[in-house]
Amino acid sequence: MNSGIKQLCLIVCVLAAGCATPKDYTKFNAASPRSLLIVPVVNRSVSVTAPDYFLSTITIPLAEQGYYVFPVNMVKSLLENDGLSDANLVHAAPTQKLCELFGSDAVLYITINKWEACYAVFTTQVKVELYYVIKDGKTGDVLWEQQQAMTYEPQNANTGNLLGNLIAAAVTAAATKAAPNYVPLAQQANSKAFKYPGPGIPPGPYMKTSY
Amino acid sequence: MLKMMMLFLLSGFFLLSGCASTMYTWKGYDNKLYSHYKNPAEYAEYVENLKEIIEAGDQSGTVPPGLYAEYGYTFYVQGYFTQSITYFQKEYDKWPESRVLMAKMIDNAKKESKKAGKGAM
Repeated sequence: MNSGIKQLCLIVCVLAAGCATPKDYTKFNAASPRSLLIVPVVNRSVSVTAPDYFLSTITIPLAEQGYYVFPVNMVKSLLENDGLSDANLVHAAPTQKLCELFGSDAVLYITINKWEACYAVFTTQVKVELYYVIKDGKTGDVLWEQQQAMTYEPQNANTGNLLGNLIAAAVTAAATKAAPNYVPLAQQANSKAFKYPGPGIPPGPYMKTSY
Repeated sequence: MLKMMMLFLLSGFFLLSGCASTMYTWKGYDNKLYSHYKNPAEYAEYVENLKEIIEAGDQSGTVPPGLYAEYGYTFYVQGYFTQSITYFQKEYDKWPESRVLMAKMIDNAKKESKKAGKGAM
């Protein structure tokens, strides 16, 4: 019995470990960037406001991870003034050139693949799907990349009777329909994607060491 | 009873550690930037928010990276070049990583300021 449980534990451990494909950080560590330039976000979703809204979530987690993060709004504005308001163009430009221009060690490119709400009558599902890639300013090589999806279904209040439940759910769905809140979901996606150890980014130069 | 107290203490510690978990003083910078993108017309409010964040972190030296620059840039776009230089310089001094960009911005601000000066005469 006991050994059976042990075996089961082992299997679960192996399965869990197998799920998270370990990343190769050799290139990242060799480059060990101190600063990250975040360029305008490429938007593959149908929401026009998604890239700007997303941009507001990105600075804090990366700065707290110890990186110098270039002022996102100013960078966006400077690029626009130089005729580079099209994020696709910026993403296609050579990384080395961008880094030279801003004096950055690396560039973080983000693509929004999904930023949507699926409406049913009584429930609404909010979904974001993001793709992140960091490229080296010297070589243009990919140092790190991550795909992250997040789904949120508002928890419906249980009022104890069927009709009450339906009304509560309808109210929740209506509230979400009026203003689906993507930002907390994007924040969750960020913190999951950047978490280290995990799929994330190793701590930067300003990370306080806990010892 | 003792167990309850222990639990209470423990949860207190968790709450405390939650508060102290950021390196920088953000004061809801993410929400402020979000509101700015949502209501771009309320630019003055965004500027005021940036100012508050900087004031909150200034004494303890916990102004986040990029914030002096972001605030300086609001002066720059409004044509207050002298003030913009003050904050670009602060960013330059605090973060070596920002120096290439800040040197350019200071240079630009000086040029623009000269141009504006001539225009005024």
